[in-house]
Amino acid sequence: MAQVHLRDVVKKYGAIQVVHGIDLEIQDNEFVVLVGPSGCGKSTTLRMIAGLEDISGGEITIGDRVVNDLPPRHRNISMVFQNYALYPHMTVRENLGFSLKIAKRPQDEIDRAVDEAAGILSLAEYLDRKPGELSGGQRQRVAMGRAIVRHPEVFLFDEPLSNLDAKLRTQMRTEIKKLHQKVKSTIVYVTHDQVEAMTLADRIVIMRDGHIEQVGTPLDVFESPANTFVATFIGSPPMNLLRGRITGDTISLTDGPLISLPPQFASNVADGQDVILGFRADNLMPVGHAMPMEGAYAEFKMTVNLSEPLGTETLLFGALAGKEVQAKMLNPRPLQNGEQLQFQLDLTRCHLFDAQTEQSLR
Amino acid sequence: MNENLQHRIRKYLLKALHFVALFIAMAIICVPGLWVVLNSFRPTVEIMAKPPVWIPNELNLDNYRAMFGAVGEGGVPVLQYFTNSLIVSVTSTLIAILVGMAGGYAFARYSFKGKAGIFIGLMLTRAVPGVSLSLPLFIVMAKTGLIDTHLGLILVYVALNVPFTIWLIDGFFRQVPIDLAEAAEIDGCTRWQAFWKVEFPVARAGVASAGIFAFLTSWNEYALASQLTRSTFSKTMPVGLRDFTSEFTINWGGMCALAVLMIIPALILTFIVQKHLIAGLTFGGVKG
Amino acid sequence: MSRFRPPVWFVLLLPAIIILAAVVLIPLILSFYSSFTPYKLTRPDTLYKWIGTFNYEKAIKSTHFWAAFGRTVLLLTIALNLEMLMGLGLALLVNKVTYGQRALRTIMMFPMMFSPVLVGFQFKFIFNDNVGLVNNALQSLGLTDKAIPWLVDGQLAFIAILTAEMWSATSVFAILILAGLFAVPRDPIEAAKVDGCTPWQSFRHITLPYIMPFIYIALAIRSLDVARAYDIVQIMTNGGPARRTELLWTLIGRTGYIDAKMGYANAMGYISIFLAIFFTVYFFRKLNAARSELGMAG
Ligand SMILES: Nc1ncnc2c1ncn2[C@@H]1O[C@H](COP(=O)(O)OP(=O)(O)O)[C@@H](O)[C@H]1O
Ligand SMILES: [Mg+2]
Repeated sequence: MAQVHLRDVVKKYGAIQVVHGIDLEIQDNEFVVLVGPSGCGKSTTLRMIAGLEDISGGEITIGDRVVNDLPPRHRNISMVFQNYALYPHMTVRENLGFSLKIAKRPQDEIDRAVDEAAGILSLAEYLDRKPGELSGGQRQRVAMGRAIVRHPEVFLFDEPLSNLDAKLRTQMRTEIKKLHQKVKSTIVYVTHDQVEAMTLADRIVIMRDGHIEQVGTPLDVFESPANTFVATFIGSPPMNLLRGRITGDTISLTDGPLISLPPQFASNVADGQDVILGFRADNLMPVGHAMPMEGAYAEFKMTVNLSEPLGTETLLFGALAGKEVQAKMLNPRPLQNGEQLQFQLDLTRCHLFDAQTEQSLR
Repeated sequence: MNENLQHRIRKYLLKALHFVALFIAMAIICVPGLWVVLNSFRPTVEIMAKPPVWIPNELNLDNYRAMFGAVGEGGVPVLQYFTNSLIVSVTSTLIAILVGMAGGYAFARYSFKGKAGIFIGLMLTRAVPGVSLSLPLFIVMAKTGLIDTHLGLILVYVALNVPFTIWLIDGFFRQVPIDLAEAAEIDGCTRWQAFWKVEFPVARAGVASAGIFAFLTSWNEYALASQLTRSTFSKTMPVGLRDFTSEFTINWGGMCALAVLMIIPALILTFIVQKHLIAGLTFGGVKG
Repeated sequence: MSRFRPPVWFVLLLPAIIILAAVVLIPLILSFYSSFTPYKLTRPDTLYKWIGTFNYEKAIKSTHFWAAFGRTVLLLTIALNLEMLMGLGLALLVNKVTYGQRALRTIMMFPMMFSPVLVGFQFKFIFNDNVGLVNNALQSLGLTDKAIPWLVDGQLAFIAILTAEMWSATSVFAILILAGLFAVPRDPIEAAKVDGCTPWQSFRHITLPYIMPFIYIALAIRSLDVARAYDIVQIMTNGGPARRTELLWTLIGRTGYIDAKMGYANAMGYISIFLAIFFTVYFFRKLNAARSELGMAG
């Protein structure tokens, strides 16, 4: 059993506080991804769980044990580092078996564990090489192999794929996912790449400036972002955000058209309130080039300044309410830059945030 | 929680132990040196007193006054020695750095037949102990009239320092990617300009650390200087220290004052390039 | 008509080669030749009398020579090893410091600024049996009421010399090893911690292999430089009293300058050169082995 609980965990470097009282409950066997822009404290949080950084306040438990002051070796965790952190003077075999050797396990057990890990990660033919003689992807696999031979209760990953090229990254992503299904243990995974987070996670933890902004399943955070930060951070292209003010049952966008208030927010707003309207490109489509919309929608004209064909769909860049707005169209057709089209905005899929707090008004 | 407490206590204990050990180590390093500094302000009688005087009764500048007086106490021309040391050390360091840079660059950037052999040959010249070298050098210098001159000593110190300088600087230039110089050449620099504008600034830390080692070696060298210099006009300070000794007595106070005079320039210089020193050794060292 | 142009590397190396040839090689050739003559400084004509390997035979048969030789090897071995261990300890202590490390590093280099001859005088005085710091301290603390003859007794003098030598040279090791510690990447150390290593195990399995090249570099530099000990010994005891602390270098110096037997001294000098070369080459080989272990040979 290896739940990981963080209660009001704080980290200070001298006078500078970089993690501000984080609360997080990670279930047994759960795959949790910490995601956020770089410098937001993801690695620091992970390293506090690992015991590589002291915590300045709060409490961390792994399983049923409080581990606040325990050194890493007493926490039964293993970690995969961004720069692989392989031991350069040891062969792949020695790298993989190192933790078991330190734990004074019998040699035949070490051999078996190393062979098993090498099998899972298809490293068998490289066992006698040194890390210097491996490619990036192979090194990454050795780093993962080193983590799995110990059968730890918790795996910690710190941006393990960020040094790989795009193709390899996708491939390794799948392997990590498979690995989780195979080895069945709790995983805490850090990345700044929201795509990685969305594809891997059971639950996503979105962080900013040492605070947790939202915790939820990938679908949760995509469908109902708690605030504008999450809204723009998750999903690609980022959600369009336009400022406006509630007037009766419409939103009057600053320097833009009047749009009727999405019905799901009707009871949550007051007349005259300043708000931010959010919607994704997928929910703004030109009439006649998309599925016809059901339910409530708004319609207005918009000039398309640029289009980017993506294959089955085309990304459109237009200007609305003085801001650049991204839209999509399904049936490709040649477009002239500057062409004006009639657009439909699906109001049922819109988001509304308070302009001051930037929190969702749902 | 018990487990946590145990580890926390252990951590504090280790921290305390670390502090104590560090304090003792630093004390051992400092005490003999500070003792010299302290004694330079005390009269010799008090230093030599029996039973010992632990807390100085009076501190004064007599030893320094005597040292900088016309000829100095007991006729030791300290200022002349200081000048000699300065001329010899600075000149030989500069030359050693130039020669060493040329040599180090050759080893780092060109490949040629017998490279390893020449390199080892150069390094081994440093393995010759000073005494073994001083005997034949003495004969050669006496024959060529270089004995008892600044020039003679400068030449010797350059030779003493060049191998190590080459080694350090070679290691350092290897760390400077060759593309850097090539890029500069494509940008229109000559090889010469590319070196000074691009490669040299990057390798400067290595040059600085080589320089300080060369300077300290020359500044402090005794075995060769004691044989190759005879007169006031060429004796360096380490040799001059002996002037404070006579057959049965030592003018300890005076000697300490001269010692302080010797240490101060070395201290200042080391402090200035201290930052480069570690960097220089790190790069020049391991990946050589 | 093509003019011969020497390769660039040769031109660059030429100054170094010329100066080393002039200052080291030529005198060494001369001394090699003179080691086959009964050359005496006071009688220049003896330089032209060939006596074959007589001087070498004389050295090999001399018990004084072998005693000094043994003592030198012993001093070198003990001093280099202890300095290495203490330097390593010091470097580890300083490396752990986060606050004020710069100041500590400067203090650490303090002894490097002391001329060995000064170190000699300093410790000659510190170990003086009558008014020295050590005896004064021991007596004031009531640990002894005798004047311990530090520089007179053969074994005590060896310890005194060793102490002086270690005080002067440990910081060279410390600074080089510290440079090595700075070069150790943080990641593998942390990986080792996570892999279950105690601090000692991560030092033993990860840090040590990384700094091994630096340790050998320090050993090589020190063995190149070890004749510094000559200055210290010459001042502290000059081999005496009654040859009880005689080292190769003091023996050579005395034979050459006091007894003026240059030929004989040079023969012994050659033997000491080979000793130095042996130590140096040994450490350089170790260095290369340690480097290729880490996959950074080249
Ligand atoms: N040792 C340190 N001393 C001071 N500040 C640090 C230290 N390590 C990290 N920080 C700061 O803490 C913040 C969080 O860093 P980190 O956890 O590495 O971010 P990331 O989310 O990119 O992994 C950053 O602003 C960083 O500058
Ligand atoms: Mg990070």
